[in-house]
Amino acid sequence: MRRLLYIFLISFLAITANGQKFMTKNGLISFYGHTPMEDIKADNNQVASVLDISTGELVFQVLIKSFHFERALMEEHFNENYMESDKIPKAEFKGKITNLSSVDFKKSGSYDVTVEGDMKIHDVTNKISVKGALEVVSGGLNASSKFNIVPEDYKINIPGVVREKIAKSLEVTVTIKYSPLQTK
Amino acid sequence: MKPYVKIALAVVLFIVIGGILGGLYMYNMKPKDLKTVKPDFVITAVDLCAAFNEDGKAATAKYVNKVIEVSGEISSLMPGDKGVVNIQLESGNNLTSVICTIPISGVNDSFKPGKAITIRGVCSGFLMDVLLNNCVVVENKK
Repeated sequence: MRRLLYIFLISFLAITANGQKFMTKNGLISFYGHTPMEDIKADNNQVASVLDISTGELVFQVLIKSFHFERALMEEHFNENYMESDKIPKAEFKGKITNLSSVDFKKSGSYDVTVEGDMKIHDVTNKISVKGALEVVSGGLNASSKFNIVPEDYKINIPGVVREKIAKSLEVTVTIKYSPLQTK
Repeated sequence: MKPYVKIALAVVLFIVIGGILGGLYMYNMKPKDLKTVKPDFVITAVDLCAAFNEDGKAATAKYVNKVIEVSGEISSLMPGDKGVVNIQLESGNNLTSVICTIPISGVNDSFKPGKAITIRGVCSGFLMDVLLNNCVVVENKK
């Protein structure tokens, strides 16, 4: 089944791609929350993302278990109590750069972009719109963005006892270095 | 104060202090250092990828959250941000591989594509590749 899916995906990419798609499997997504009690920080260095520069469409996928915390207990609670990562292993964003025409892919430089789309976390999908930057560099593209998400929007239940310890809103930082997708 | 009251107080105090220390210890515990942990599975990168490709559900149940010692040939090294490197292992097919995230301090100049390597890490699951986290290099062959 998975193989079939891949064959489909790759042939789809091969047909539509040819220098138009950029991808990475090594992107970084971090989040940070501050409360009087403690700071919550986690990094995920295994972010997969594909960007199609002909349409501006982009997809991000992460495994929840790939987020790492400084403290083992925090990581355990994150996975077991909040994200239920055994049941819902992935989070995903599918969206589009809405101001694609303001990016000149032939000219090096940093361009401000707005991305709109569906953020799916904890099996709950919300429409979001975030600002970011797309940097055209030789041999690739760098993308970055910083935005906030509210756990409650994604039905992530935080029990009352620890409610105050966990920030109401988390700051998410996305840092991606894309390289051109090579279809073999 | 009667002696048994003293004893009872001492016991209560002992439990409270023990609880606080235990709580602090748990709270501050770092993720386990895989250098000293016995792996749950020892497998080649080729077999690990094949397991996820053939039956993702079964492989997820078997390998996710487990410490896996995987050996294979480096196909690429991809520097990440925040002091880590992702080492990609050859899997025998072009579509998937094993990606191991390792602190940059664990990597040296001898790490090049083609080098045989054994890495221990915790399996997070399968995205486009099998992902291992918190990795350490076990041995350097050649």
